[in-house]
Amino acid sequence: MKIAEKKALKRESIIQTALQLFSVNGFHRTTIPDIATKLQMSVGNLYNYFSSKDILAQEIIKYTSEALGEKIRVVNGLDVSAEQKIHEIVDVYFTMAKEKPEMIEYFLRVYLSNREVFSDGCEGMVCVSGFITEIMVFFDDSVSSGELRNQDFFSAFGLFMGYLGGMVFLKGEDVLPQGIEFYIDDISRNIYNALKA
Amino acid sequence: MKPRLLWLQAITCNGNTHSFLNHPNLFSILSHFEIVHHPALDGSYSMEDVIKGEVPCDVLILEGSFIEEGFLKGGVEVSKLIQNYANKAKHIISAGTCATFGGIFKQKDPDKISGFCFDLEEKTSRYDMYASKLISLPGCPMHPKWMSYVLLMLANKKVIEIDNLHRPVELYGYTVHTGCTRNEYFEWKIDTKNYGLKEGCLFYEQGCQGPYTRGSCNKILWNDVSSKTRSGTPCFGCTEPTFPQASLYSTKTNMGIPAKMPLGIPRRAYLTLTGVTKSFKIKRFTERLMDYDK
Amino acid sequence: MKKLHIKQLIEKIEGEAELDFTFNEGKIEDVKINFGFYRGIEEILQGKDARDALVITPRVCGICNHAHLMTAVRAIENGYENAGQKIELTSKAKDIREFTLACELIQNHIKWLYMTLLPQIESYLDCKSEENYAIKASYLASTITKALAIFAGQWPHSSYAVPGGVTCDPTYVDVMQAQSLVDESIKFFEQVVTELPLDAYLNIDFCADLHNIGGDFGKLLHLIGSSGMTEIGKSHDRFIVFGECMLSKSGKSIGTKVSNVNSKYVKESPQKGTVAKAVTYRDRLYEVGPLARGMVAKRTIVKNLHKRYKDSLLTRVFARIDEVAILLAYAKNLLANLNLEEASCTLDLHTALQDFEGTGVVEAARGSLIHKTKVKDGLIVNYEIITPTQWNLSHGEKDEKGIAVEAMKGSKNIEEATFIFRTFDVCSVCTTQ
Repeated sequence: MKIAEKKALKRESIIQTALQLFSVNGFHRTTIPDIATKLQMSVGNLYNYFSSKDILAQEIIKYTSEALGEKIRVVNGLDVSAEQKIHEIVDVYFTMAKEKPEMIEYFLRVYLSNREVFSDGCEGMVCVSGFITEIMVFFDDSVSSGELRNQDFFSAFGLFMGYLGGMVFLKGEDVLPQGIEFYIDDISRNIYNALKA
Repeated sequence: MKPRLLWLQAITCNGNTHSFLNHPNLFSILSHFEIVHHPALDGSYSMEDVIKGEVPCDVLILEGSFIEEGFLKGGVEVSKLIQNYANKAKHIISAGTCATFGGIFKQKDPDKISGFCFDLEEKTSRYDMYASKLISLPGCPMHPKWMSYVLLMLANKKVIEIDNLHRPVELYGYTVHTGCTRNEYFEWKIDTKNYGLKEGCLFYEQGCQGPYTRGSCNKILWNDVSSKTRSGTPCFGCTEPTFPQASLYSTKTNMGIPAKMPLGIPRRAYLTLTGVTKSFKIKRFTERLMDYDK
Repeated sequence: MKKLHIKQLIEKIEGEAELDFTFNEGKIEDVKINFGFYRGIEEILQGKDARDALVITPRVCGICNHAHLMTAVRAIENGYENAGQKIELTSKAKDIREFTLACELIQNHIKWLYMTLLPQIESYLDCKSEENYAIKASYLASTITKALAIFAGQWPHSSYAVPGGVTCDPTYVDVMQAQSLVDESIKFFEQVVTELPLDAYLNIDFCADLHNIGGDFGKLLHLIGSSGMTEIGKSHDRFIVFGECMLSKSGKSIGTKVSNVNSKYVKESPQKGTVAKAVTYRDRLYEVGPLARGMVAKRTIVKNLHKRYKDSLLTRVFARIDEVAILLAYAKNLLANLNLEEASCTLDLHTALQDFEGTGVVEAARGSLIHKTKVKDGLIVNYEIITPTQWNLSHGEKDEKGIAVEAMKGSKNIEEATFIFRTFDVCSVCTTQ
């Protein structure tokens, strides 16, 4: 295996491990040495990949954003209706919430709640652009085809993302009586009914 | 012997004639040619001679939209006149969007009115016959220096490189966006707040088509001094086959996203860049240009 | 003697026209003026966004497109006001619009002087000088339109006037540049057109002082005077002006009697044998243009010329070039007093009324230009354009011939009649919109 590939894999494993530890112990209580220990690598070596915890935090948000964005990009490429795509996007989001809760949880509980960590290097939507871009593409396509109503971007975005984020938050609080996948149909229908032309 | 130049008009407003008359070096350019007939300048022959079909013609300049029948001058169908001289000419220059693609006047009767060799972007039945001689100079009107470029290239016997719509690439390789004084606002996605402000980009709301319209208006400048966008007016895409489109003063958006991307820019690239630039507040761009830290 | 019909193609009138002369006993009794093709801009505008008229209507004409733009924006602003939206243009916006419009009129009249009148009169009188008059026209036109473009972005076909003001945001860099271009144009007028300082020219009040005018204008006046053309070209001596501007207030002048007008009495009607429509005011025919403006404004020198020569070819020709001097001084003054502190546009970007009806009037180079727009749900349902040339070339009825026709009546030959026709500065494309 080439060195570059090895490094990329190592980088990814640092991110995965960090996500796990943040999820279990909390963002502030997890330290770089903790992560290094878990990976059986030296702290110095870890700093070669990420020069500070804040930088690591920012890279993680980009990583999770791109992971989600990639899946939504696939949905955008499908030859199906906007209504169907909404269902797919909700499915993607909730499936990730179920199978990789540490990623979605990170977004809600670390990114949104610790703005000072991200204010220098992740201004505005810079680090979540992988994900935001795909939502923009979805909106553009669906308004262009006449399926969704043309409106201000943030009104629609807030409805969509606020709704999904809220559901995942409730899941994290263990409040939802059913598994999160149970809610996909209803939520998709609600979103479509709110946004349709 | 100087090449003999004939300027023929079909369905036109004369805008291209007056645009060309504004060229600062008009007469030195025309000195390379013998003017057979021109709508405003003196020529060797009268309009009646032209209508008889017998005047010489090496370079034919066509202005105005084309119609097969129903438009007579001195009892002769203009279409016949045009084709007669198009056959004689060694070079045919379609001056303006009407002669090239159909333009505004096509909208009166879309089935019957078109450009001479192009009907919007489609080739007309006349294309094959005249393509080897054709140079397109779309614009509403065309810029006088686009015409002088072509005429001087012809006078100097140089070959003009053209694209698939026969537009000279050295003129139409640029977009109207190239050289606009509001470029920084475009880069950082700063909307203009209202008309009459030199600050802000006209692309996001005011309907500016500069980023995807081919032309060199902001490179060569109009009347040697300015351009639409430099004076706060959005570009209306007048060189394109689709001119004029609808709602020219407003940008079509889908949830705030421009429906049409800048030329050649993939949508994802544009949106990613937009997301990034909109995340930063550059103080200088929120202030008036002349109000800087002196 | 039977009546004789002779057809003559007239070119270089911003297009062409076919004049069908009826000779009776050796004199012209009637002229039918036929234009070949109707472009249908009024129909093209139907269904379009209200503001698209600011882009489409200039394409009625390549030489007076700026006047169409100004008329179109006034029609929208008038419509907005009728619908309850107050429009308050700043003096800066008003002055800039006036300035660019003045520039267009100037290039229009100068082109007519050098590319139509002088070559045609020399040809008619068989005294062709070898001068390249067109180069003078091209020089002045490109200079003054450069000043126009500093504010309006380009000429021809700017669309920089929008409801509420203008789109430009000039600095003194722009104003100074425009000033020097106006000064160049004034210098040209002084040195080449009249061989008189501008002030001296503007002080001319009496016919006797006209012989002080040298240059090309002086040459033209002399040619007209010395060839007996001072008495020909008379028409109904009836003038009308609808646009309010520096040149004249609105009003009509029947002979020298001036009174008010109301544009609601303007009526368009189709004519047989031509695509051009006739226009009347209270069912009567009127002349529009520089002579009309001079008469309604009671400009002293025009009044005095009219006293001696009535509405003959001489008075008509004089009034047109005369306007160049007035407009040059006006343009210079506008720039000197421009208040750059004010806003360029006072209407909010997002204000776009959906339902309104409005009329715009502007004094274009050739006379009153009227646009009427009717908008529903933001789209144009009806648009009417009445151009100055339509007024002057209306054919008229049996009992009263049209303005230009009356002027040609009685002429003994086609060359003379054609020259008279050209003194009306006919615009073929405007007539066939």
